[in-house]
Amino acid sequence: MIELNVATKRYGSLVAVDNVSFTVEAGEYFALLGPNGAGKTTIVRMLLNFTKPTSGSLSINGIPCANAASRAAIGYLAENNHIPPYLTGWQYLIRCAELLDINRYDAINQCKRVVGLIGMHGREDTKVNTYSKGMIQRFGIGAALIGNPNLLILDEPTAGLDPIGIREIRQLLESLKDQGLTIFLNSHLLSEVEKICDNAAIINRGRLLVKDKISAIVKDGETLEDVFVRLVKG
Amino acid sequence: MKIPKTHSPIIKIAKYTLTDEVRQKSFIVMFIICALFIFLIRGCYQGNFIVNGQALDAEAVIRVMSKVTFHFIAVGVMFLAALLSMRVFRRDRDDGTQSCILSKPITRGQYVAGKIIGLWALSIIFMFILHGIVFIITSINLQIIMPEYLLASLICSFNLLFVIVTVLLLSLLMPDIVAFLCVMGIGIIGSVADGIFAISNSQMAQTIIPPSSTLSGLTGWKAAYYLWPKLLSTQQFAASLIGREGFPELGSMYPIINVFTYSLILGILLFRRFRNENII
Repeated sequence: MIELNVATKRYGSLVAVDNVSFTVEAGEYFALLGPNGAGKTTIVRMLLNFTKPTSGSLSINGIPCANAASRAAIGYLAENNHIPPYLTGWQYLIRCAELLDINRYDAINQCKRVVGLIGMHGREDTKVNTYSKGMIQRFGIGAALIGNPNLLILDEPTAGLDPIGIREIRQLLESLKDQGLTIFLNSHLLSEVEKICDNAAIINRGRLLVKDKISAIVKDGETLEDVFVRLVKG
Repeated sequence: MKIPKTHSPIIKIAKYTLTDEVRQKSFIVMFIICALFIFLIRGCYQGNFIVNGQALDAEAVIRVMSKVTFHFIAVGVMFLAALLSMRVFRRDRDDGTQSCILSKPITRGQYVAGKIIGLWALSIIFMFILHGIVFIITSINLQIIMPEYLLASLICSFNLLFVIVTVLLLSLLMPDIVAFLCVMGIGIIGSVADGIFAISNSQMAQTIIPPSSTLSGLTGWKAAYYLWPKLLSTQQFAASLIGREGFPELGSMYPIINVFTYSLILGILLFRRFRNENII
């Protein structure tokens, strides 16, 4: 589903992503882990063609990421997700549906379903500027689910949330498991990742350190955090 | 008619751009102030002017007044279009609109085209409404309908396209306010150059300065003058249609061709620049 082939991104002399190659198969709950500045968000941005790789290639469903068609079945939640404050949550979801060329009738049905899924029933008609950070994240995830994508790319979905918000988002993501979605989760909240994901890759300073099933990465008597610290500190 | 899929996102983005701008309080305030200003000067269109005890020709006064107002509105809306355009990309970046749109199967070209069309449509509607108010007041007072007034308004929309495309392009290269000032500078320099050119070609100037000594060594300046974006000249051409019977000669359409060509070239540069832009 997702393929990175010797992908490299340089900003001047800084190498943000250094010859990274891995694949994510359909149906995987995959986590990309790394400390701040490791290159996680750069990889996500290259997948969405927000920035172009200096060398190497990236593709989604076999379509190069430079091609807009590669984003046809993707739902995306940005790091520090923002929603225009003058819109209501409902208007935002409808707008996302319209951008995907979904007809009005289906758009309304999908938005109703998504509002229920994210647990925001009754709050969808209030303006976004009255929402808490957690509610904005929920609507962001809701927007990512519009159009029935088969791949969700979530960049730090729990960033800036309090423990209750983190738990709510985790429960929401767990509830999506039954839908057969592929999830590409970019996070550094290891305890959450361990609870949600099946596979993970750890990168540091732009380099891929390991990519495997979490159960294979974490040895007996260890936690994902122990492995992460050991690998990152070298 | 079914809209082709390529055009569909462009139209939607244009619609969102237009509605988002109209939602802004600053836009509503500006529109109300402009409309009020036009209404407040409606007395000028009465045509009952008496100088030294003699009544002036009402029709001539109203025509002059409507032309003056026409220029004021056209310049004012150009200023407004520049103000609206300068913050569009930044606002879209800040409120997540840009990443929301571009994470969908929508190309950057479609996004930029939607933004340009949305801003252009909004500016044209804004200018058309203000010109329309003057048109109605003039028509009532003169009891003559001047459809060329509205045609002139549409011709001025070429200037708006130039302003929007240029500010959008420059806002990718420099701070928004500098981009705005640059475009204002282009307009001001063009207007001053037009004034100097008009004076140098006047009979009085020809009498004072012998033709042999003028401009012979200034061919470079002349070329620069003709090649400079002709915003004011386009406006003057449009205003010259008001009250005129028949179509003007083709040569006088040069300013429109000039502005349109600039819009096209700068538009291509804008699309190319945005294609390589990093989306945050």
